[in-house]
Amino acid sequence: MELSVNGQAHNLDIDEDMPLLWALRDKLNITGPKYGCGIAMCGACTVHIDGQAVRSCSIRASEVNGEVTTIEGLGSPEAMHAVQSAWKEHQVAQCGYCQPGQIMSAASLLARNPNPSDETIDQAMSANLCRCGTYPRIRAAVKTAAAKMGGA
Amino acid sequence: MKFQKSITFISALCLVSGLTLAAENSTGPIADINPPAKGTVTEAQALEAFARIYEVASHPRCANCHVGEDNRPRWSGPSYAPFPPGQNWRYHGMNVNADDSRIGAETMPCSTCHQTTPDLDSAPHSPPHFGIDWQLAPVEFEWFGKSPNEICEQLKDPARNGGRDWMGLAEHLVMDAGHRGPVLWGWSPSGDREAAPFSLQQHVDDMTIWGVGGQPCPKD
Amino acid sequence: MGAARTIARRTFLVGSVALAGGAAFGVHTIKKPYPNPLLDTLEDGEFTLTNYVLINQDGVTLITPKGEMGQGVQSTWAALIAEELDVAWDDVKIAHGPPGKAYYNAAVIEEGLPISSLDHSGQANFMREKIAPIAAKVMAMQVTGGSSAAADGFVKLRVAGATAREMLKNAAAKKLGLKASQFMTVNGKVITPDREEIPYGDLAADAAALKMPKNISLRPPSEWKYLGKSMPRLDMKTKVTGTANFAPDLRFEGMKFGTVKMNPHLGGALKSYNADKALAMKGVDKVIATDHGVIIIADNTWTAFKAANLIDCDWGKADYPDTMAEHYAAVGAAFDNASYDSRNRDIGNVDTALEGAEVLSAEYKVPYLAHACMEPVNATAMYQDGRLDVWAGNQAPGDLKAHAMEVSGLSQDQVHIHTQFMGGGFGRKSEVDFSEYAVRAAMAMKDTPVQIMWSREEDMTHDYYRPIAMGRFRGSVKDGNIHAFDLNVACPSILESGAERGGPDLPGGDITNAMTIWDQPYAIPNYRTTAWRARKLLPVGAWRSVGGTQNAFFQESMIDEMAHAAGRDPMDFRLEMMNNDVCKTVLETVKDMSGWDRQRPEGHALGCAFVLGFAVPTAEVIEIKQTNDGIKIINAWAAVDVGTALDPRNIEAQVFGGLNFGLAAAIMGEIDVKDGKINQTNFHDYDSLRLYQAPKVEVEILENGKHIRGIGEPGTPPAAPALANAIFALTGERYRELPLNKFVAFA
Repeated sequence: MELSVNGQAHNLDIDEDMPLLWALRDKLNITGPKYGCGIAMCGACTVHIDGQAVRSCSIRASEVNGEVTTIEGLGSPEAMHAVQSAWKEHQVAQCGYCQPGQIMSAASLLARNPNPSDETIDQAMSANLCRCGTYPRIRAAVKTAAAKMGGA
Repeated sequence: MKFQKSITFISALCLVSGLTLAAENSTGPIADINPPAKGTVTEAQALEAFARIYEVASHPRCANCHVGEDNRPRWSGPSYAPFPPGQNWRYHGMNVNADDSRIGAETMPCSTCHQTTPDLDSAPHSPPHFGIDWQLAPVEFEWFGKSPNEICEQLKDPARNGGRDWMGLAEHLVMDAGHRGPVLWGWSPSGDREAAPFSLQQHVDDMTIWGVGGQPCPKD
Repeated sequence: MGAARTIARRTFLVGSVALAGGAAFGVHTIKKPYPNPLLDTLEDGEFTLTNYVLINQDGVTLITPKGEMGQGVQSTWAALIAEELDVAWDDVKIAHGPPGKAYYNAAVIEEGLPISSLDHSGQANFMREKIAPIAAKVMAMQVTGGSSAAADGFVKLRVAGATAREMLKNAAAKKLGLKASQFMTVNGKVITPDREEIPYGDLAADAAALKMPKNISLRPPSEWKYLGKSMPRLDMKTKVTGTANFAPDLRFEGMKFGTVKMNPHLGGALKSYNADKALAMKGVDKVIATDHGVIIIADNTWTAFKAANLIDCDWGKADYPDTMAEHYAAVGAAFDNASYDSRNRDIGNVDTALEGAEVLSAEYKVPYLAHACMEPVNATAMYQDGRLDVWAGNQAPGDLKAHAMEVSGLSQDQVHIHTQFMGGGFGRKSEVDFSEYAVRAAMAMKDTPVQIMWSREEDMTHDYYRPIAMGRFRGSVKDGNIHAFDLNVACPSILESGAERGGPDLPGGDITNAMTIWDQPYAIPNYRTTAWRARKLLPVGAWRSVGGTQNAFFQESMIDEMAHAAGRDPMDFRLEMMNNDVCKTVLETVKDMSGWDRQRPEGHALGCAFVLGFAVPTAEVIEIKQTNDGIKIINAWAAVDVGTALDPRNIEAQVFGGLNFGLAAAIMGEIDVKDGKINQTNFHDYDSLRLYQAPKVEVEILENGKHIRGIGEPGTPPAAPALANAIFALTGERYRELPLNKFVAFA
């Protein structure tokens, strides 16, 4: 099957039922999306498909119709996406394991809603778990990112 | 879309045996609309049929996403405990709100987790999915926590049911199921989830029995 | 082993270890430093100046041998070294480095001492300053835990940085025939008297050959460039770009992926199994039987997970009871002389004082808790040409290495540990079980790198849980103050549980049972705290703040009950009892921050709690609001005193993070046992605090304490009692059991 990730096309020989997460991590060595629960309860595996946040643990790679973007494709250490810069500015990450998912969710939210209210942020960002409890800084960083991207 | 009022045997077989169709484009009808002849249904029989319809509509598989203006899907039913004290339901976790779009377009689409796929099979506690985009039913179709009378009055009110007569409702059920949508999923929810009561065919039959019987509503 | 051994060691009577150490090794040995661990792995062109500085032509690498699990320790440790070494922050490169006795934790011992952190008597200082360091050195534990890193590294890392700096200057001086005092150091370069800049890399070889200077003097805080400032974390950029390497992100040529399927009856045997169906699957390589479960090796993790589901196992039973009622009964039965653990405070005469008084009494209880790190436990290992490499996020690399040696039968120099970032630790990753299974897999799959990732379900159901615990008190008030307080807590011993997995079974009390109850700064005329030890139940271990969460919930709720009985404001009630100025200032600070006395709108209420934990006085106030959907936690304020604040922004993160961790447990955290198995398997039934539930938090950091203190844990214990006390203030209902969502709805 074919899969396009971060602008690169791949041909994969995988089981039809393999979730996108494991195709990315174990077959393509794209390890930014993390395994946290396998049942879309934590959001650590979040990627974009055609710009929309999707839990990669809960969609089969074989059913992906569209361009997959992972945290690595959103921005790089040399050229960070506005959301990543805002995350750095606010020093959001603690252990950092959930943050690729948090950032992908935030980027997807801001693409839909360039100027989210507190309430909207609480809605869109509550399906991503963080056990370190970085939430206060996530809230602040989403707002900063919105401003950077021209909203707010 | 045109559909035939006949059973697609393979689909029905799959449904009965709990299997699911892998075929991506299985949009064919998978339940039969076979209304009883005019005048053959007593009011009592129609009310009995509606009682069964109510059991289905108020079942967690259906009612959890037939919610009102707060746009907040519910988690009720055996797999979602624990509930807040004195309550037998809770809001969908994660502060989920489907917004006025009823599909989460403004913040986080339902399909972020509930994928669109013809495969109805999902693991316990993972997000269930079906062949159309996961979403809340239109706000007028509010069933969660509603009484039999309230649901009945809504179902027969074209202003609140998508402009349908009883045959239209039956056709809607069959068509949705044909798209491998929520109607089909309700009876094959997989993942240890409790299925809606009776069967899809029984539900379609009940809709037509209730319709032919004059759509009587129970008093609360 | 792991945490078990670590805690066992640190709770051992420290004085006797020091004495025994002296007798066994001789005073000379104790004074002699451990060898520099970096010497074993130096590559060509690499030089080491002290245990913490590695230099090659590409520049300087600071060795920060603490497990980074989110607490920012590696950045703070780098700042301590860089402060004296003069390396530009943007140029700082860090590495965890190999395990080594030289990296023993000199500070973690203190929490295990039977002296209060507030006790500055001659005897206490002697224990703290003379005996404990010897014991720490003899024990030689390289462990990240106990909120000890700031204190552990504060002096020794600056000394290391300064020593390396002086060696570089000495090398330059020797080369140019000048005096070292004529040189300066700036941004990784030695500056000659005529303003010539020599990069450290050019001097490293010469410097490494020099003797280490003694009598290093450290710069005064007024000259600090990095310390005391909020420095950008060195791991931040990698963590926001998905380029940080956690252990499961490692990829090697020819790598295999596996998982485990362990006996759901914890500690029970694998009696027999049938893996035919699994082995028939495409992509499944091997199924390895172990004492308590099987390891499945496959092409990819997904296939391994699927294969694990297809293996039929016949499991032996566990040696703990099958039902939760029996577990609680076992803890309740421990309030009995036969189960005495320790009584570290007995002031006045509680029994006499309570005679004839109006006695207030109640019983509290809390459930088991899982760590539920976002990163499920995992490790990667490879065995090739007689060499075993293990990659794992871990809090105790020395224990991990020792255990890997034991499991593999290999020697010290054959086993190499590579400590990775942890996706959360909270105590879980001080255990060695997860690396054990990677080692077993690697030994069975020669020449093949194998990554063993536990499913969330396996992780959740095979933890070393925060103990189930109960608290009972009797108390009386007189003239608006507490006259007598008899506090009893009971739980299984973490130390005893740890002994089962290799830690020593030591005599005496388990200080973790009594944590945060016996040394609180309350002046109560008749005051007795007793810890009771329940029988072994589920395997238990260190969970962020160890004994602190359960005991703080008991004690600070009880104090609130007595404040109410006395008809007093719970904040003023505490303040008036407080007999330590540093602690009192912390509580006063949180009172001011929260506007405690300000009238709140209808339906709002405040609760407070104070806990002296890990020697950090910590006070928290929580504001809640009644909504149609239930109680919403809207604001929290926290004040802490860490003595010296090395990185304020990072400390703030640890405090609000710790508070949120405590709130998660208070609201919804519960692990229970059903039919001998853990009843919760994933985040759907062991959920955690989510963004919409997290309050706005303000943190204030004070520096009045005598000693520098660490902050990974202290934020957690006060959260539950502050919340429960707020709920009491709002509703008049006193909830004496966690989690609170059993009793109230939360919005």
